[in-house]
Amino acid sequence: MSEPTASPEPTASQPGSARTGPGRLLVAIYALFALSASARAGVQIATKFHHAPVAYLLSAFAGLVYILATVTLAVGTPTARRIAVVSCSVELAGVLAVGTWSLADPATFPDATVWSGYGSGYGFVPLVLPVFGLLWLRRLTRRPGPGQGAEDAVADGPARVTSPADGHNPNPHRTRPG
Amino acid sequence: MNGAVPTTIIVAGLVLAGYALLMTIRNRRMSVILLGALGVLEILLLVEVGLIVARLASGGRPASLPTLIGYLIAMPLVPLAAAFWGLLERSRWGPAVIIVAGLVAAVLMVRLHQIWPVIHV
Repeated sequence: MSEPTASPEPTASQPGSARTGPGRLLVAIYALFALSASARAGVQIATKFHHAPVAYLLSAFAGLVYILATVTLAVGTPTARRIAVVSCSVELAGVLAVGTWSLADPATFPDATVWSGYGSGYGFVPLVLPVFGLLWLRRLTRRPGPGQGAEDAVADGPARVTSPADGHNPNPHRTRPG
Repeated sequence: MNGAVPTTIIVAGLVLAGYALLMTIRNRRMSVILLGALGVLEILLLVEVGLIVARLASGGRPASLPTLIGYLIAMPLVPLAAAFWGLLERSRWGPAVIIVAGLVAAVLMVRLHQIWPVIHV
């Protein structure tokens, strides 16, 4: 079996870099949640809104945040990345707030939202996803080598990062042929 | 009703996810094998869609018809979207996308069963 071994991962210097490498996986999972959360909220609001209005509106809001995060991560320009940071932060705050609220006041949530119980209905992926999103975005805007403290300065410019993925993560398998 | 197809999809999805995980760990790109496995999953999902449509045509109704229709649309798109998005990536993160597709196919079958228990999983 001579399957191709991956070449060194692409640099983050081109626009759109947020969707390559690990970003590819992140965008896929974000797209999945954008679709499932907004479709589910749409059906619930259209068919039985009065059953659990707060839960359904929060689900719809979560769906919108996921859509925004998916699109901005996939576009990947510096401006889009900054919006992605905001949407991932809102998402993390949302899952923590709604998770706590749903446990403290179950009567408000006769039906579950994506963020109920910190995303327990979705394998806690909603809780973990924004953390990985923010880590990935932070890694993109960070210069390699010395001067790593200058995230903010880098984020303002066109963010010329040369090796976002494996600078400090050498892969022992890479040199081995299949 | 025959529950063999959803069960097969769950097994196939988990096997595909496991294989794609192995390829990700071993730092491989997308391969013909992964694409073929996605094709098999696609065919299985289309067969399941056909079985559900036949069930609807013969007068069966789930608890939530709009949700079921959403599932019918979403199910066949999962392997296609994963193949497209994974092929764009020239690194180990291509197979990583396929892990998600395999798991999603399995989860979709379980959720489907919750909407319409007539479909034996």
